[in-house]
Amino acid sequence: MTNPQHIGGIRGFFARLGGIDRRWIFLAMGLSIAIPILLKLRFPEYPGPMAKATFDAVEKVPEGSTVLLSFDYDPASAAELQPMASALVHHCASRKLKIVFMALWPLGKQQADRTIDTVLKPFHPEYREGIDYAQLGFQAGNEGVIKVMATNLPKQYPNDADGKAIGDIPLLKDTKDLGAFKLVASISAGYPGAKEWVQYGNGAMPDAFEVVSGSTGVQVGQLLPYYPKQMEGLLVAVKGAAEYEMLVEAKYPAADPEVIGQGRVRMGPQLVAHLLMIALIVLGNIAMIAGRPRGGAR
Amino acid sequence: MLQRTIPIAILCLSGAIMVGAYFISSAQSWGETVTTWFNILAAVAFVLGAGNLIAMNLEKISSQRPGWGYAAITLVSFAFMLVVGLLKLGAVPNDKHPDIHLAGSYDTPASPFGWMYEYVMSPLTATMFALLAFYVASAAFRAFRAKNTESILLLGTAFIVLLAQTAAGMFLTGWIPEDSAFAFLRLDKIKAGIIEHVQTAGMRAIMIGIALGIAAMSLRLILGIDRSYLSKN
Amino acid sequence: MNESMTNGNDEKPATRRRSSFLWFSLALLGISLCVLRVAVASQDGAAASAEAARTLWQSIGIWVAAFMTLGIFSFLYKDNPFYKVCESVLIGVSAAYWMVSAFWSTLVPQLFAKLSPTLVKSYAMPSLTPSETPGLDFALALVPLALGGMLLWRLAPKGQWISVWPIAMVIGVTAGLRLISAVESDFLAQISATMRPLIALETTTDAAGVATRSFDFWGTVGGFVGVIGVLSVLSYFLFSIEHKGVVGKSARLGIWFLMITFGGAFGLTVMGRITLLAQRFEFLFKDWLGIG
Repeated sequence: MTNPQHIGGIRGFFARLGGIDRRWIFLAMGLSIAIPILLKLRFPEYPGPMAKATFDAVEKVPEGSTVLLSFDYDPASAAELQPMASALVHHCASRKLKIVFMALWPLGKQQADRTIDTVLKPFHPEYREGIDYAQLGFQAGNEGVIKVMATNLPKQYPNDADGKAIGDIPLLKDTKDLGAFKLVASISAGYPGAKEWVQYGNGAMPDAFEVVSGSTGVQVGQLLPYYPKQMEGLLVAVKGAAEYEMLVEAKYPAADPEVIGQGRVRMGPQLVAHLLMIALIVLGNIAMIAGRPRGGAR
Repeated sequence: MLQRTIPIAILCLSGAIMVGAYFISSAQSWGETVTTWFNILAAVAFVLGAGNLIAMNLEKISSQRPGWGYAAITLVSFAFMLVVGLLKLGAVPNDKHPDIHLAGSYDTPASPFGWMYEYVMSPLTATMFALLAFYVASAAFRAFRAKNTESILLLGTAFIVLLAQTAAGMFLTGWIPEDSAFAFLRLDKIKAGIIEHVQTAGMRAIMIGIALGIAAMSLRLILGIDRSYLSKN
Repeated sequence: MNESMTNGNDEKPATRRRSSFLWFSLALLGISLCVLRVAVASQDGAAASAEAARTLWQSIGIWVAAFMTLGIFSFLYKDNPFYKVCESVLIGVSAAYWMVSAFWSTLVPQLFAKLSPTLVKSYAMPSLTPSETPGLDFALALVPLALGGMLLWRLAPKGQWISVWPIAMVIGVTAGLRLISAVESDFLAQISATMRPLIALETTTDAAGVATRSFDFWGTVGGFVGVIGVLSVLSYFLFSIEHKGVVGKSARLGIWFLMITFGGAFGLTVMGRITLLAQRFEFLFKDWLGIG
């Protein structure tokens, strides 16, 4: 490769651009996200088929039925998944569904607690713990937890997260297995998560309940083959969250947009950052071409 | 015998019980019991991991290797979190049993353990992963090169998805009516087609391949053909 | 800086001067942010009242979280002690969190409550329901207790082979679980999902409620793309046949499908990473600095 310092003109400029200190790129990326946040840039979202399918899956569950929400993520993915979780809980509660929270990730329990405190309690004060909702918390064992729950839920969860015996919780006292739920929703950041719910939950009881999932952009590729046969709905990354929020807000507008609107807030910086990414890729390729010797071998 | 035969027997038996529990309904409770043991062992693995962390860092401190001060910080933060968590120090008392200290809730933000989670662990974990946004940008600039058909396909798809995932997609092609013959040129439609048909097909083929690999590997383990797990000992 | 906080690299004077300048700049930036934070809180009535509403520990927590966030971000300039301290704290608290969580959520109710229900009921789980078969539960709990002890033996300096027994059990259960799920959900179900009518028909219902079926062009294209994609990618993974002739062409098409798949995955991954960063900035601007 030709030394970029020896190339003049615009070609030389682009050739030298290839060797730019990466911290300038970091700065550009930082600004592309910080400025839209400070300017509160927001754009309209248009719900796609997968978000609509997720919304419809919750809508189809008869009022008063019990749904299981599995919080299979941690703070590292909360930026993408918490908006989905908040909207999903608000949607379920608006439809008067009984909600059972659990977690396959140790830190998922904290995320579920946060959702109860920020969504369920303030927006649905009529929801009573133990009667309308229950928090089972985290259990170690990954797919093993689902496997036991599929056939014997009290064996896996003899008590809820607060140590209360499952037989003393009105919502769960007659629950024998996963068949008690009409819908299982896994907010999933990886292993164990939505994939395991399809494999060990839906696989064990294919006709008992529907599975829906909200997943990170990184993991969602693994879940695409399950949609729509084994997974009724799938929220794809923060865009999926924003689209789902739109659908929920349109029908159940009581919620605080600051809480059921985080996904749309985070879509603002996406536009600028995505354009920057495209520009960086294009510039990187121009720099590569400019740095090549004229008419020479690559 | 103790080091080879019994582990192989344990593996074959536990694997066979899990497979048997799927096909024979009367063996289902066996499967549940063995899976519960597995889950308890998964919890013990967390203890093992923590023990390993202590051993590694103590060794680093005692041999005064470069950076041993950081090992000390790791141990101090570990010990603090462990003590406040296991002893439930400052836990919120249980409503019905306030006299039983260990029945209290230790992970609410009002307790030291919950506070550490909320204000130390959570921001650290989230920021650590947020750093990747910067490195993805840097890698895109330096490594994404349109050199041949394959890389052009990859780049082209990435551009379409990047644009269509944001308002740029609607800005550029949203003016094409959805019910027109040219609706397929809309970026959101192209992206949906890529994700729902092409990407799904690709991932499905990968999944089928992995499933065959897992099934073969599981059978080799359960039948005692693969014994690589014994090799380190 | 002594050896306890270095990685053993000797810094040259010029590098040290540059490093000092960097730290001075970062400190200045940090102080400026703090001043901005206080100024915003004192001028903005809403922010001031929000500040007052917070408890002292919440306020301290937000400051700690902000410094931890900035500490991790400082790695973007270069590796430094501030970052390393944050990293070390993260490792320590994470390991302890997982251990404590596993102890209280799984070991106590699933193991200790079966070994000693009276003790656990008296000191940790007052709502524990007495088992109908305490003897059997006790006997069955001895197995994971023994296996757990053997697993922890791995930390002992000698006799580490003992830990192979529980590891064998974990591998056995995992193999048994995955054998079924892989064949059922990831093999048979995926083949079934691929085998769908190639000619797609669209059903539309008019105002009178009469349903009519029409040819769905893009649905049909999607169907063909799905089948061809799966088969061509699978042919690429078929390494027992030389990639020549029809198989070679199919494998090449498979690579193209894979490239499009990875391109899509890259786009979605970028989106995920940007979201994580956006959330951290939201925290710094809104929760800490009170702006934006």
